[in-house]
Amino acid sequence: MLIPPLIAKLPEVKSAVVSDLGGGVVEALREREGESVAAVVGFLWSTATEAGHQLGLGSLRLLSFAGPVRGTVVATAGSNLVAAFVEPSSSLPSVEKLLTGALEKKEA
Amino acid sequence: MEQILQGLLDLPGVSAAIVFDATGALVASCGRALYDRPLCEQVSGALTKAVDTVRLQQEEWESINALFADGKFLLQNLAPSSARGHVLAVVADSTLNASFATVAIRVATNRLRKSIAGGTSEPGAGSSLGRPSASGATAPSAVSTHPPASGSQPLPSDSKVLANSGVSWSKSSSVGLSRVAVANPASAAFLSRCAKQLARHVGPIAKVYVEESVRRVSPDAPFSLAAANPLVNDLAAQIEDPDDRAEFCKALENP
Repeated sequence: MLIPPLIAKLPEVKSAVVSDLGGGVVEALREREGESVAAVVGFLWSTATEAGHQLGLGSLRLLSFAGPVRGTVVATAGSNLVAAFVEPSSSLPSVEKLLTGALEKKEA
Repeated sequence: MEQILQGLLDLPGVSAAIVFDATGALVASCGRALYDRPLCEQVSGALTKAVDTVRLQQEEWESINALFADGKFLLQNLAPSSARGHVLAVVADSTLNASFATVAIRVATNRLRKSIAGGTSEPGAGSSLGRPSASGATAPSAVSTHPPASGSQPLPSDSKVLANSGVSWSKSSSVGLSRVAVANPASAAFLSRCAKQLARHVGPIAKVYVEESVRRVSPDAPFSLAAANPLVNDLAAQIEDPDDRAEFCKALENP
């Protein structure tokens, strides 16, 4: 399982998708439309990376977006992207920290 | 508008502040050294693509944060969350103080919304509408229908439904955001207690969190003690440590 179990168990994480950098789905948790979500996440990562390069910010590590109800956090895990969809969006900062912590632990 | 962006640029760590419209056209920008107008124009296009992609996944968005090896950018929606409109982008290096920046960006967002809506008395705000801005761009007039942000809406005239809940909620707060509608003085006092308790765990941003939380749990009516439990639960989500979270909830058990 590529989605960190700690994240999968969180009640605030409604669904999660692991995709490759090209937008192909690798794994989906509680997400029926894993393929389309993976494609959007992959494309979003590439556009944000492009903007970051233009701004001289280096490589992209973490991306998140929030609305009034839900939020999403995307992080790199090796050659993959892990996206977690969070509700309520106020829980996004804590899920962000847990996700990056879990992924760093995995890589170490 | 440039004055508001300049205020953001004064924050330690901020390299550039940019406003672009839904088409990716630069509306105004303010940046240090390398972040000149051509770069800001170029990056506005890439950022618009990113915003449009986020909208595919989540139509209603308020903010986008991207963390890079050598810095970050933060995007804030200046339109009502489901509409396409202007976006504020703040580019920063790793020295940015996240708590300060969060508050400063929210204040700037409210002022920019007012400026875009054209109904403001703030000095400098709105001055770029209908004529070229200092950066040479012209703000389109089609955006003038945006309502002001909730934090900047005028207070209802009925003073019975409004009360200041003490220091944290006074009109003279330096944060400039700290006014919410409350049903009675007891509710106001409870909000102050919430802010004080939360501040023990998250610091000075607590007031902003409480204000946002009140808007979430009591969006259509002045806050009353009937909504105390949902408010406490909502605020508890801001505290990472489970023990601290439990302590916070316990301290506010009896509204």
